[in-house]
Amino acid sequence: MADSDDKQKRLPSQEGLLLEYVRRLEEHRDGRKIVHLHLSALNPDNRREQHLRAAADNLEPLIADMEAQLFNLKNDDMFLVYKSENHPQVETTVGQVRFLFSEDPLVAAETEQQPFATWYDATTDYETLLRLVQGVAEAEHNSVAHERTDVRGALKAKQELGVPMTPDVLAQLAAALARTDLSSLMHRQFVCKIDENMVTTEMFSELFISIKDLRETLMPGVNLLANRWLFQHLTETLDLRMLSMLVKTDSNLISGEISFNTNVSTILSKEFKAFDENVATSRRGKMVIEFQKEDIFSNLSSYLFARELLQKKGYRVCLDGVALETLQIINHQQLGVDLIKLVWGTELADYGQDGNDIVREAVTKEGPEKFIMIRCDAREAIDFGCSVGINLFQGRYVEYLIAEDGRRNELVRLKRQIERN
Amino acid sequence: MPAYKYDQTMASEESLLLDCLNRIKTNLDGYFAVHLHLSRVRANNKPPNFFNIASRIFDSLIKTDDATLFPMANTDMILVCRDISVDDVDVAIEEVRRQVIEDPLAINKKGNSEDRLATWFDLSSGEDFDTFLAAATDLAVQAKRKPGEMATGRGDQRMAVLPLSPSNLTSTNVKLEAMRVADLIRRQACLKVSPGCGGVLEFRELFISMNEVSERLAEGVNLFASPWLFQYLTKTLDRRVISTILKEDYKNLLDAISINLNISTVLSKEFEDLHRVAAEHADKVIVELQFIDILADMRNYTYARDSLQERGYRVVVDGLSPLSIEFFDPAPLKSNFLKVAWGPEFDGNDGVMRSFISSASKDSVILARVESQAAVKWGLNLGISRFQGFYIDQVVQRMGSGKQ
Repeated sequence: MADSDDKQKRLPSQEGLLLEYVRRLEEHRDGRKIVHLHLSALNPDNRREQHLRAAADNLEPLIADMEAQLFNLKNDDMFLVYKSENHPQVETTVGQVRFLFSEDPLVAAETEQQPFATWYDATTDYETLLRLVQGVAEAEHNSVAHERTDVRGALKAKQELGVPMTPDVLAQLAAALARTDLSSLMHRQFVCKIDENMVTTEMFSELFISIKDLRETLMPGVNLLANRWLFQHLTETLDLRMLSMLVKTDSNLISGEISFNTNVSTILSKEFKAFDENVATSRRGKMVIEFQKEDIFSNLSSYLFARELLQKKGYRVCLDGVALETLQIINHQQLGVDLIKLVWGTELADYGQDGNDIVREAVTKEGPEKFIMIRCDAREAIDFGCSVGINLFQGRYVEYLIAEDGRRNELVRLKRQIERN
Repeated sequence: MPAYKYDQTMASEESLLLDCLNRIKTNLDGYFAVHLHLSRVRANNKPPNFFNIASRIFDSLIKTDDATLFPMANTDMILVCRDISVDDVDVAIEEVRRQVIEDPLAINKKGNSEDRLATWFDLSSGEDFDTFLAAATDLAVQAKRKPGEMATGRGDQRMAVLPLSPSNLTSTNVKLEAMRVADLIRRQACLKVSPGCGGVLEFRELFISMNEVSERLAEGVNLFASPWLFQYLTKTLDRRVISTILKEDYKNLLDAISINLNISTVLSKEFEDLHRVAAEHADKVIVELQFIDILADMRNYTYARDSLQERGYRVVVDGLSPLSIEFFDPAPLKSNFLKVAWGPEFDGNDGVMRSFISSASKDSVILARVESQAAVKWGLNLGISRFQGFYIDQVVQRMGSGKQ
């Protein structure tokens, strides 16, 4: 009982209003048309708030000037009901909205099964339309039951992201960092060569301070990544902490070949000079220094100086965080890096053959030994990388493969032991 | 106590230098010193990290125990050497010079003893030793007098002392929100020049004079101390600029205007406010986006660019330098214009710009920070027709209203 009372008190949903509107159309079907924009089928990256607002803004004049009716559904789909005489304008406007998303696979690779927009004429398609919006309203109605868990889910997600970092929090954090032992927050992840049988060979490991752990330890509830520039500033402090840990930790941590991320300005600091003086000449060849592209381009002459300094001393230099779009723009040869880290993302696969060609061309041009596919969290990433000639990988899935290899080797060892006994 | 022994309690670099001179004065054979007047380099000609880079450049010399570098509080540097080849020191000094090539101080014609960047002292000659000692003593006295002010260097004297930091960022931002900025907005013309036919105004760029903002901020904060924190403030500047130009009468606006914005601002409500008043005249509004901002999020750039161009606005990729254009291919950016700052690197070297143009098209390039007729000629020779800068401002002034 209480449940249904709640539902009645609830404000009418857009889905409910749409159904109501379409029901009322039954009497006035003639001269009405409806277009359904399948925005829910867009790539999630392409339907953030600003994207949807832009889409709605485009439709706005139709509503104001032509008495059309717009329904924004919870799943981001939109329904526009309008008078048939305005069809040409609506068609143009929908074309404009479609253009906003022209890079999205939904538009770029539009199919009959999954079109960007579906058009209905109330006169002829009324029954189909009614069934459709009934389905929509019903689904929404049912989802209300789950809303409580959704709230919980949303709350959890929000808490995980935290409140955005502010300058004041950044100041506190920088102060806290100076007196906190970060060695427990240090993680390592391997860069591996992977063969066709998914067998891994470790090449080197990246050392990094886990931002998630850092937040949980020092600033619970703050989203350190909320502002790109404040975060970038924070990394300058983290760089110095990393260097001091690397100087202090003589043993296991920096054994083997390692890489770590740093700002160009850090390389030019006296702290790095002190670090460098502590590193045996032979070790330098086993270290890879990673830079972010924004940092490099924010001051190219400093970067060029730092790169030359590092390479002369025997370090290797890696460009981190390259995505498909930047891959096409940056002249890697000119930057003179030894390694390039390409970020795996489903958009690589979503771009279809184009994405494949762009990456393959770059890999062929620069040499496959230069490329590392990173953030590989699924088999798909490895398969894609292999298909374009990349054979170095890093990420959660790679860590899983290493663990699997370890387990397999352990079994083989046990088996041999048993046989020997 | 010798007269030049200045202060033992404070082991500043200045006092260490005086100590050093005191130690070596009994046997000055083979000793010489170089005074690098880095504090005279204009603030905006100093790349970030300049001081650190300069220090690193001398590292290889200093490794041998026969050279010592003293970084002074006023950002000058003193190198004291013994029996080191002048050629080796020259190599390092030339490398420092390359870092500040845009500064008048860096100009040094071969064989010219009047180098304003570096002064050499042969310490084994009594006269030079005395002159140098006097200079070192002066530096020590100065450093003691104004420890705070000295830190930013003479070239920056107009700039405030406190560097922008997380702890003063919020208060700076709040001040910026409330501060009167309308009168600090400057306009600079971009001229389309066709050989023989003079120039036509393409647009006027509106920008806030940051040096004046810096001065107006009561406490005085060096806004450029951290590039990242400065970026953070630009969001506020965006809002201030937009609110100023909301009042423009777009219908009767004679010349197009351009404004600098963050990509995130283009996608924000503030820009929608502007769009509401300017929509019908979007062709009169040009949005300039920084290359760094673009690189940091290409997807949002693509989206913002399309949404601007689709609505009739034009897009400029700003923040390109003679150096940066060597490192990327502009074609995929699909902007209306690419703004490249003129620099002395272009002098006698047009290969880089030629290949840039071959990818971007000459009609999209705007040569900015043009300070001489020679630079305009250089651009015209390559087929570039759009120019901006101090020299263009003078031309526009001569043209009268700016319209032909």
